[in-house]
Amino acid sequence: MNSARTPTDWNAPAMRRRIRKRYSAERRFKAFGLAAVVLSAAFLAFLLVTMAWNGARGFTRAEVALPIDFKALALAVDRASLSTPGADLALSGAELENAVKGAAVTAFGPGGDALISGHGWIKVRDAVKADPSLLDREAVIQVPASTKVDQGEDAAGVARLNGAGALSRHFNSDFLSQSNSTDPMAAGIWGALKGSLMTMLVTFLIAFPVGLFSAVYLEEYAPRNRWTDLIEVSINNLAAVPSIIFGLLGLAVFLGSWELWGHSFGPLMPRSAALVGGLTLALMIMPVIVIASRNAIKAVPPSIRDAAFAVGASRVQVVFHHVIPLAMPGILTGTIIGMARALGETAPLLLIGMRAFIVTPPGSFTDPATVLPVQIFLWSDEVSRGFIEKTSAAIIVLLAFLLAMNGLAIYLRNRFETRW
Amino acid sequence: MTEATPSLDFAPSGAGQQPKMAARGVNVFYGGNQAIRDVSIEIDMDKVTAFIGPSGCGKSTFLRTLNRMNDTIPSARVEGEIMLDGEDIYSPAMDVVQLRARVGMVFQKPNPFPKSIYENVAYGPRIHGLASSKSSMDAIVERSLKRAGLWDEVKDRLQDSGTALSGGQQQRLCIARAIAVDPEVILMDEPCSALDPIATAKIEELIHDLHGKYAIVIVTHNMQQAARVSHRTAFFHLGQLIEYGVTDEIFTAPRVERTKDYITGRYG
Repeated sequence: MNSARTPTDWNAPAMRRRIRKRYSAERRFKAFGLAAVVLSAAFLAFLLVTMAWNGARGFTRAEVALPIDFKALALAVDRASLSTPGADLALSGAELENAVKGAAVTAFGPGGDALISGHGWIKVRDAVKADPSLLDREAVIQVPASTKVDQGEDAAGVARLNGAGALSRHFNSDFLSQSNSTDPMAAGIWGALKGSLMTMLVTFLIAFPVGLFSAVYLEEYAPRNRWTDLIEVSINNLAAVPSIIFGLLGLAVFLGSWELWGHSFGPLMPRSAALVGGLTLALMIMPVIVIASRNAIKAVPPSIRDAAFAVGASRVQVVFHHVIPLAMPGILTGTIIGMARALGETAPLLLIGMRAFIVTPPGSFTDPATVLPVQIFLWSDEVSRGFIEKTSAAIIVLLAFLLAMNGLAIYLRNRFETRW
Repeated sequence: MTEATPSLDFAPSGAGQQPKMAARGVNVFYGGNQAIRDVSIEIDMDKVTAFIGPSGCGKSTFLRTLNRMNDTIPSARVEGEIMLDGEDIYSPAMDVVQLRARVGMVFQKPNPFPKSIYENVAYGPRIHGLASSKSSMDAIVERSLKRAGLWDEVKDRLQDSGTALSGGQQQRLCIARAIAVDPEVILMDEPCSALDPIATAKIEELIHDLHGKYAIVIVTHNMQQAARVSHRTAFFHLGQLIEYGVTDEIFTAPRVERTKDYITGRYG
């Protein structure tokens, strides 16, 4: 038996080759990783730049300085009613719309009424409401231009307005304060934004507590048996179900009518409402919150539970004083992911009627409403060119909303973070 | 060969005085496994009792039955009778929350809450409503930390996190936390196994200071430690109580062959 060992030759060519290969594998792997990061960053930058470029114009619009001689028009308006809530009715009854068209023809020649937006008279109405003394004199009022002028499609009209020195481009405050309209010059995002806010509120109020308490029960109370295994598998599967299925579920449960024991039940809730949308989305994101919360609760060291039990804390006290606070960062992370998904969701909401054409922002949770992604979907389908910019601008609003929501959640998460 | 019943023929402390805790015919099962077989033992108020034995002999399991910490393990099942001051702690009339306040526990690994030192100690008294005001809570915290020998080291930084202390300090904080609810019995599950020799010496000194105020039961792997700190020693093997007696006798003149083999290092 020969036990003498030959010393390893670390400088042998084969050994050197192996070392070189190892180094190049390392470099290759690093390069792949870097390339992947650069590629995804480039996609993101491309998306953001495109959106900002297209959307920036969506926040502004062409406006026309329209001179109106109210004194000559001599509108039959009851002055006393202008300071009452009935002002809108009093002014619309005065055929203001035709008067404004007439003023445009007077100012810019024949066909001048086509250069201003069909909704231009609303600006005039608001100006009169704000200052009734206008009715006794001449005034110049800024009204939105027509879509064709705004988009530069009507070159002759643009030239005519520029010749009169009446055309200018301003920040479009209507976009952030008005709701949907058939006229892109008058269309706004506020209705959809408010709808989204209300829907998210309902979603959060349902999904967060139900998801959290389901997770707490399953982790801290439920016995380990076949039933809890079945529930666990079901929850994991639910998290992967396509969102449109949840739309069908919401449609069937909340808006369907069934017969039970000879009694027929009508729809439980109104169509198109933020309440129904919120409940449907809550069903959709609950599994995500349950899974994330369970993992966060599982990660709380058992020694902390032992410590609390050993000084005589009850199970509820252990859960509320120790487990949930320590698991909160993880629970909030799951909630952020779920809420972000719900905010961007379109498909299930189409099924429960939230794709309606809504001109007034929802006043309550049961009013017809729409949400930002559905609004974007609807506008992207419009023929008028003015809506292309509006679509991009709406996407910017959606992204800003998403960032604000996530920022809030991350702030809360950091506040709950425990330093060990 | 069957073992003789454990020898319990040392003089009872105080004539006719009832033991603080008494176990009779205790069996513990984890699912189908029997971890403890027919253990009967008495624990006296003014003594330190040590449980020794090789790993997996059931000494920690038995310790955890004494304040029903095994209730948190779903598959665990306890048979037999365990009395605290003559009351069966497994009877439905016994409130487990109060039981654990009366029978406190210190664990193998220091496990302070990730909260301030003050909050760690104040937590128990707060959930049991033991302090009526801020000043009486301050007094409880101070007294508990003093008894645990930690006051001088932390009195200027009570609002610092308990997890920022050293291992030995953390373990004394856990002892202060157990003391704060004014227990009658303190169970210690290998309290020094994660500590260095200096911190260990401090804990042992502390156990010595605390005995008499509380009945103390300590599980230890370290036979020198059992010999140093305890008055009574119980030797467990394979889930059975082999021998129980005065510590000096167990270590100098064990009656059972298996005890002798263990303490002379034949197995362990």
